[in-house]
Amino acid sequence: MTGAPLPEPAASPTATEEGVPSTARPPQPRWRQTLVLLARNPTAAVAGTVLLLIVLTAVFDEAIAPTGPNEIAVEDRLQPPSLAHPFGTDDLGRDILSRVILGAAVSLRVGFLAVTFALVVGALIGLLAGYYGRWVDDVLMRFMDILFAFPAVLLAIAVLAVRGPGAGNTALAIGIVYVPVFARVTRASVLGVREDVYVRASRSVGASDWRLLTRHVLPNAAPPIIVQTSISLAFAVLAEAALSFLGLGTQPPNPSWGLMLAEGRGFIDLAWWLAFFPGMAIFLTVLCFNLLGDGLRDVLDPRQRTLMAGSGR
Amino acid sequence: MSVIVFGLVQLVPGDPIRLALGTRFDQETYDALLARSGLDQPLVQQYVTWAGRALTGDLGVSFRSGETVTSLIGERLPATLTLAFASILVALLIAVPLGTLSALRPRSVVDRVATVLSQIGISVPEFWMAIVLILVFAGTLGWLPSGGYVPLTEDPGGWAQRLLLPAVVTGVVSGSVITRFVRSSVLEALGADHVRTAQAKGLPGRQVFTWHVLRNALLPLVTVTGVQLAYLLSGVVVVEIVFAWPGLGQLALQAVQSRDYPVLQGAILLFAVVFLLINLVVDLLYTAIDPRIRR
Repeated sequence: MTGAPLPEPAASPTATEEGVPSTARPPQPRWRQTLVLLARNPTAAVAGTVLLLIVLTAVFDEAIAPTGPNEIAVEDRLQPPSLAHPFGTDDLGRDILSRVILGAAVSLRVGFLAVTFALVVGALIGLLAGYYGRWVDDVLMRFMDILFAFPAVLLAIAVLAVRGPGAGNTALAIGIVYVPVFARVTRASVLGVREDVYVRASRSVGASDWRLLTRHVLPNAAPPIIVQTSISLAFAVLAEAALSFLGLGTQPPNPSWGLMLAEGRGFIDLAWWLAFFPGMAIFLTVLCFNLLGDGLRDVLDPRQRTLMAGSGR
Repeated sequence: MSVIVFGLVQLVPGDPIRLALGTRFDQETYDALLARSGLDQPLVQQYVTWAGRALTGDLGVSFRSGETVTSLIGERLPATLTLAFASILVALLIAVPLGTLSALRPRSVVDRVATVLSQIGISVPEFWMAIVLILVFAGTLGWLPSGGYVPLTEDPGGWAQRLLLPAVVTGVVSGSVITRFVRSSVLEALGADHVRTAQAKGLPGRQVFTWHVLRNALLPLVTVTGVQLAYLLSGVVVVEIVFAWPGLGQLALQAVQSRDYPVLQGAILLFAVVFLLINLVVDLLYTAIDPRIRR
């Protein structure tokens, strides 16, 4: 994508010193600068805070949820939202608020697992392809192109058909779909950094490939990858919901937002709250990941804005 | 690529013959069907047979219904094409005006509203939006049917009524993605040197805009529209399911569920070919729009 060397984030005050390895480290660690800049962007700050709340909810799901996920109370079935059940109850009398909270754990876990897989495998492929070039690049990237040519949802469906449904397999299916995206982003970023002066300087004093890659290339090629991670998390949560909605992802009676939507769909005329609240949960989570991704991009990598907006969907 | 399609589908567990026959069958019928479907042959031979036939347009016979895969796909193709092109139309109708307006007045109210709207459109789960729209327009208001498909030739009114909701759902999502591209590419074109030159030599604003800005902003738009069209053509499976739209996505999902290898192979191969075709068309459009590329 970008042929020119990727500059340091324009906002970083020590941008020019970064070229000299190890002796002239910026006074503050970079992640802290990023965090400060991010906090100054109101949209990203709000999105980040909401996300933190959602993640905390997911982590402490069982402590927070008023009832268990599968506590059936048939006499309370299809209750509209009330004080006792803020989000209402479903056709088996299960508390929807509790199920949405417990569903957060399922959806986010699958999302994080999927993106971690895609990130590790994709970044590794992109790093090798971008750094070594030549036939390594050709072989790896052609394979990525082929994978990329398959429609995302169908590829995931096919993987699930091979491996059977379930949370782990759903994560794997979504992860595989996003490997080429990470490979491309990483490769492009590495290509921009590979011939930078500090990399060549380090190479000329005899640093090993491993040291070059881990100390110089990867840290400086990271910003677009970080941005892509946030955006991919949004789509992974969305994809998990879609696959569960189709009955291929999380299996009942486990609560997952997509599955709850599918179950609520049959009662849509009688009880709108069954499908409404899980849908809102998906929407809010995805929106926050997207907004955070946008904020991160503004801070870390302003030049990539046009290149990556909306990739993956 | 065909090797990957074939290999992937072969990995699907479960015995298709057993599924097709149901619970009561005898060994003789089983063997006969196995031999007829060619599943008793070695894998490599199965692949060669399949690939050879696929080249001539013969994608095999469905295990489940006994129809040829080509005719099954042919039946579904019009519905998918209709929905995909209607959606991309909706998407462009939203994206081009909205993206251009917000690029012309960056950081204005219009720009902020457009940004928020497109962010919402990207983040909303399409199946959820579909359910909400069905609830409102088919349930509460009762204006539109909740799903299904009738061919245009049989009932134009019913066709349009049934097309509207699914096209809006997928169109809004794609349109949100495209809006962001239009905005950034128009912004970029506006800042280009030749635009400033054109303004400096006193060309009227409208002329500068159509000839110098829009034409340059068109290239990224073509790319992203192509990507979105490929995505829509590959069957927006979930939306098709919610609206009971008899498209290719639905066919592929059913094929997965019933282990119908030939249908699944055929469908995925078709999607991959469509993807490549659209990329080719996009490349050709490039050279038509931008004479620089021809050199």
